[in-house]
Amino acid sequence: MFSFSNRSITDILFWVTRKKWLITSFGLCFLFFYLPSPEGLSSNGHRTLIIVIIALILIVSETIPLPAVAILILIMQVILSLDTADGVASSFMSDAVFFIMGSLMMAVAIVYQGLDKRLAIGIVNITGNKTSRIVLGFVAVSAFLSSFIGEHTVSAMMLPVALAIIRNSGQQVNKSSNLSTLLLFSIAYGCAMGSIGTPSGGGRNAIMIGYLSEFGLANISYVDWMKHTFPILIIEIPLAALILWYTFTPKQKILDSAIRKIKFEVANEGKLSDNQWISIFIFLFIFFCWVFLSPLLGLGIIALFGVFLYLSFGLIDWKEISGSTNWGVILLFGAAISLGIQMKETGAALWVAETAISNLEYVFKDLFIVRWFISVLFTGLLTNLISSAATVAVLGPIVLDMGGDPIIIGIATSIASSFSYLTIVASPTCMIIYSTGIIRSGDYLKAGWKLFLISNIILIVVSYFYWPLLI
Amino acid sequence: MKILIAVSSKEHSKSTLNMGMQVAKAFNASTTIVDVGEKINDFSLKDVSLVRERMESWNIDRPGIDVLEWAFKYLSKNNFIEPSSVEAGFSKNTIVETKTGRLEVFLKGTFCDNVKLILRNGDIISELRDEVETGEYDVTIIGGSKKGGMAHDLFQYINSSILVVNEFDFNRKYRVLLAVDDSSGTWKAVKYGARVAQSLDNGVDIITVSNTDNFRKGYRNSSKKASKFLRRLKIDRKCFFEKGDPVEKILKIASDNHIIVMGNSTKSPLLKFFSGTKALSVMEKSTCPILIVK
Repeated sequence: MFSFSNRSITDILFWVTRKKWLITSFGLCFLFFYLPSPEGLSSNGHRTLIIVIIALILIVSETIPLPAVAILILIMQVILSLDTADGVASSFMSDAVFFIMGSLMMAVAIVYQGLDKRLAIGIVNITGNKTSRIVLGFVAVSAFLSSFIGEHTVSAMMLPVALAIIRNSGQQVNKSSNLSTLLLFSIAYGCAMGSIGTPSGGGRNAIMIGYLSEFGLANISYVDWMKHTFPILIIEIPLAALILWYTFTPKQKILDSAIRKIKFEVANEGKLSDNQWISIFIFLFIFFCWVFLSPLLGLGIIALFGVFLYLSFGLIDWKEISGSTNWGVILLFGAAISLGIQMKETGAALWVAETAISNLEYVFKDLFIVRWFISVLFTGLLTNLISSAATVAVLGPIVLDMGGDPIIIGIATSIASSFSYLTIVASPTCMIIYSTGIIRSGDYLKAGWKLFLISNIILIVVSYFYWPLLI
Repeated sequence: MKILIAVSSKEHSKSTLNMGMQVAKAFNASTTIVDVGEKINDFSLKDVSLVRERMESWNIDRPGIDVLEWAFKYLSKNNFIEPSSVEAGFSKNTIVETKTGRLEVFLKGTFCDNVKLILRNGDIISELRDEVETGEYDVTIIGGSKKGGMAHDLFQYINSSILVVNEFDFNRKYRVLLAVDDSSGTWKAVKYGARVAQSLDNGVDIITVSNTDNFRKGYRNSSKKASKFLRRLKIDRKCFFEKGDPVEKILKIASDNHIIVMGNSTKSPLLKFFSGTKALSVMEKSTCPILIVK
């Protein structure tokens, strides 16, 4: 008779306990599938929301690899008869996905050039040896750079600089102290804030621009976006530095010897190499293309052109790009955007928007507050649980169906998705600083909640008083 | 015999490494010391790898290397590795990536053929389970954890004997508390208990607990057989017969000056999962080191 050995039973139990959220999500899928569609929601909309719920559970719980979640989203769209295989394939690839792919590849190419040491010397030459000025310099440089080239690129270049300063200040690199926590959070929060600055600052910006254009609501140029977001960034930088300083005030107010050692270390590197110069020129060229040609060519195609140039000039080989690019994330964002489009087309986004508004109106009594609650506060909280780009991909169609000015709502949602200050998993930069072993999970909340609150207030004030002047 | 010692940091794992190496020496076992670092989520995996590459260009080690270096120094200082390895020092050039995310340093041991230092990242239970299965380890030694469900997961899913080093003070004299009954796992536990007692150079208290006044013949025979075995090895021993709840009695006698050694239950994994076992209950509540022999 067929029977399981004790070993097999243990293996099965192990799998079940490790995959409990996968099992739960499929259980919910069956349950929701056989429940009648809520009033006002089409059958296809009902099925789309089932996929959204499953995807969110699987992304948050990380019970299966992200690429598997992406593949599941695509498969379920076809199995649940929401679209044909060709339809799903065409909604999967868009300029926003090209942009995410191109910017991740460019990040690898830029980081590979070893410009971090030049960056270090640039920062310390400006800031001098006072710790408070170094912190402000870290926040400002991280924010400014990440607004153009993406947060993961900047954090990958800035983190070794911070660790080198910590080491040269006589502290152990792997031990937590106020100084190390302060410097690392300056990078993480600076990068998060900066990523709103331009459309190329983060995949979520490209996703929102894509939705606004795809749904025929608005066409936003690179400069238009900057006009909306840069004032917020400029106000946030000194405030973030202050909040961080007073939350993690270090004993060392001056880092004289650490800075001298860094200067000495970098002086040994010699002048910028030809490849480093070419790399900088290519990026500047791509930046100008984004500013002047993105309405014509799209952000994604220009980013891919940058990758083409890096490869053609032999600045990096394909093996390196391929090995260091997170293809799983690209797959997931492609699938999430495809799901977002499905939400819009099936009316699921509209149903969720209307249901949320009608319920929240009882509580807040004012439509402006309701819209702000969903597009800003809810987005800000969700982005701390899942990736910001995934948040925008899922919430984007919903907030754009809530009424009001789509540009204001869309950009506000995109900006709120950068308030990833509260958890380790909120953004790649938060995870990068956590991976050093210096930061404890509780540290994120210490300064994070203050920054989250201040950022929300700044966003409301700017969007209420300043943005209407731009339209 | 192969032993796996899981450590996490210099501050928290000193006693685990101390006791683990002592036991490994007693068994002349091939020893592996493993540090399992925090799990990196899928969204950031590649970014973190990229950052770590850049850190190398600044001569900054990735997290965990310091733990391996500390373990290396401990092994050198206590003569657990050959002088040639000690003289060569802890060189980062000798760290080999054997599979994605798994770094390994191979050293020549003094009491056994080899001592390995391993660095992994991820969910601790999954990583230890994988390491135990691929390396076919007989005993896994780990420090006590306050994390809920940790003891259960270790007990249920790690396919080797488990020694949990709860609050081990190396300067204190510990006796072995050997829990015996008529189950099939008892005899292996007796043999392991004897070795541990030899390594600590101390005696064994053999305890047999019955729910009733009437001790079954099998219980008495097991106790007698264990005592005879220990006598042959010239190990000081005392026998106790206690009436009551086995978990409570074992914990009470163990207090904080014993190392508990128990056999694994013969229940099916499903029953263990849902109803637990005496060994698991003792493991969860114990404040002293405990070895569950599988």
